[in-house]
Amino acid sequence: MTAVETTETAAPAGSIPPALPPAVTGGARKRRRGGAFDRALPYLLLAPALIAILWLIGWPVVSVFVTSFRQLNLGELVRGEIVWTGFDNYATVLQDERFWTVSLRTVVFTAAVVGASVGMGLGIALLMRVLTPWVRIALQIAMLCAWAMPILASTTVYQWMFDQNYGILNKTLVQLGFDSFAGYSWFSSGTSTLSVVGLLIVWQAIPFLAFSLYAGLVGIPRDLYEAAGIDGATGWQTFRAVTWPEIRSLLMMVTFLSTLWDFKVFAQIWVFREGGPSGESTTLAVLQYLEGIAKSHFGVAAAISVLMMVILGLITFQYLRRLLQTEEGKI
Amino acid sequence: MKGWRGLAAGAAALAVAVTGCGTSTNSGGSTETKEITVWLMDGSAPTTLTDALNKEFESANGIKVKYEVQKWTGIQEKLTTALASSTPPDIIELGNTQTASFADQGTLADVTADASQFNSGEWLGGLKDSLTLNGKQYGVPFYAANRTVIYRTDLLQAAGVAQPPTSRAEWLDAINKLKAANASNPDFQALYLPGQSWYFLLSLIWDEGGDIAKQDGGKWTGTLDTPQAKAGFEAYKALYDASATKKVPADIDEAKPQQMEVFGTGNVGMMVGLPWELAGAVKAKPDLKDKTAAFPIPSKKAGSAAPVFLGGSNLAIPASSKNADAAKKYLALLSSKKYQDMLAEGGAVPGTSKDTAKLATNAIGKAMADSSPNGKVTPVTPKWAAVEAGQNPLKDALTAYLTGAKSLDQATKDASEAVTKAMG
Repeated sequence: MTAVETTETAAPAGSIPPALPPAVTGGARKRRRGGAFDRALPYLLLAPALIAILWLIGWPVVSVFVTSFRQLNLGELVRGEIVWTGFDNYATVLQDERFWTVSLRTVVFTAAVVGASVGMGLGIALLMRVLTPWVRIALQIAMLCAWAMPILASTTVYQWMFDQNYGILNKTLVQLGFDSFAGYSWFSSGTSTLSVVGLLIVWQAIPFLAFSLYAGLVGIPRDLYEAAGIDGATGWQTFRAVTWPEIRSLLMMVTFLSTLWDFKVFAQIWVFREGGPSGESTTLAVLQYLEGIAKSHFGVAAAISVLMMVILGLITFQYLRRLLQTEEGKI
Repeated sequence: MKGWRGLAAGAAALAVAVTGCGTSTNSGGSTETKEITVWLMDGSAPTTLTDALNKEFESANGIKVKYEVQKWTGIQEKLTTALASSTPPDIIELGNTQTASFADQGTLADVTADASQFNSGEWLGGLKDSLTLNGKQYGVPFYAANRTVIYRTDLLQAAGVAQPPTSRAEWLDAINKLKAANASNPDFQALYLPGQSWYFLLSLIWDEGGDIAKQDGGKWTGTLDTPQAKAGFEAYKALYDASATKKVPADIDEAKPQQMEVFGTGNVGMMVGLPWELAGAVKAKPDLKDKTAAFPIPSKKAGSAAPVFLGGSNLAIPASSKNADAAKKYLALLSSKKYQDMLAEGGAVPGTSKDTAKLATNAIGKAMADSSPNGKVTPVTPKWAAVEAGQNPLKDALTAYLTGAKSLDQATKDASEAVTKAMG
């Protein structure tokens, strides 16, 4: 079944050489008349890969889930003890009012960062279509460099830029006449700290988004635009009527991916101010680290992880539903 | 060389004799030990010491020493993983503020019965407290270091400060004189004091008679909102405000950037630091070597030194170690006077010897030796590690107070509540 489905969906895209799929399908059809072994063969062939994937991806997920019902501190971990505590870990987390503040903060932060990065990524992708080749190549190289930069390296650079005394930003602002920025601290409040972190994350995310969306835009036939032009459509109307329907599903996918990534971002936030000042830039990922690693309450941290998955599931519910529906539609 | 070897052999023989007695009474434990794994931290013991120690131990016991140096960054995670494995290291070095939490979780071997082998009569008080939980000892003190005020002799002289200050008032006076004498340099900092140097804040709080928390019937309550602790905060602010012509950020600690690097630029008159920080600055700028000295952190009472936070390490044997007997022999050897003197020579307060003569040979060592008996540690409770490893309320309070984001009352009240919550 799987083999058949793959060829059917892939064939219109034209990415698979047409000579091979019919042979495979044909072979399968012939063998289907054979014994149970022949019928099971495709699944048996898939089994090793499936088991490897389940072991690598499925097991940690199951492990986190199971751990969230255990009391697992350093002592239990070292002694290898298994102490079941039922929903105690969840009760601890949910009764802590800090969890709710942090959850709300994380959701708002994720929404802002995803919105900004997808919006700007789309903007740059649209821009790339109309640029002359040389300018476009220069832009692409610049974005590749930004993308290739390791997270901690770029975070350090941002720290320098926003440094209170020696940062280039404050110096420039003072040069421009904004004297109040001399010695101004960008990390004096949680909102301000998260804004800087958000800016960094958007900067890091744009290249991927712009490239993906540009790839989608390139796939739209030119004659559609020509037709729109002949009909006298304005730029905005062309975007609404031609571009938007074509890239909507791609845009949804990258938004979904960005949400996943930005929701659990940790390194950048931790490196800047360790979730400070006074814990005001602590997000769920940071909270989880504080519980799990700093306090060695691995069970509680696992409960936070599971709750993070639940929140993420709620946020992306619409998308997941559509994803599942389309899959069903195909089957 | 030959004489030295003779001495080593003699000491080894002695160690074998001593530890032999100890092990004969011990039942159980593997006799088949072929190798022990020793984890020490980066920069803790000089290599001259560890080389000699490992060599002596190997030749005396016929057991190989797998000696590994670990980095402080991320050590908590690494230790957790290592202790949970089936082949943990046999000796680990733990920061003294971490020891209680590891001991409480039953991950460290109880060595109370063997303490006399480890020279327990000479243990440094502050470190002994840090490894004692419910009356039992879970390790051996390794070494300690405490902060002193490291200063530039040339700059102080030029500013007309002939004698190192011996009271807080004199210290502030010296800071102002330094500032006046270097007014032409816009980057000059009379005292480099970042806003979150919380170990130094502890000195000031203790000096004023306050503390972080108090224990009452097994329960800890934060005491940072007492008048004494507040006076400590105020003293910090007075020094912070007076210290620099250009404001040092209030939301960074002494490690970010490393204050030794700042001191190494030559624009700094004083810093509150540890010996290795001075060594780092000298390495970056060798001509600082002859222009630096140190004095103990002055108390508000003229002529005495303020209490200091005794930072340091303990050595412990993981409860899951299969070579505990061999590990004890190793610790016994390390606790001997010979190696403790080498530690002192390397610039640390030795953990199992009260003799600091070797340490007091230079200015910073002397300042440290003078204030170490007055050393204190953070509350000895398993919960403390969480206060320090996570978002430290003391740092948050300092930043909020120094930047004016919160009033002194509010900042200390919040910090005190956070401490109570974390330790309760």
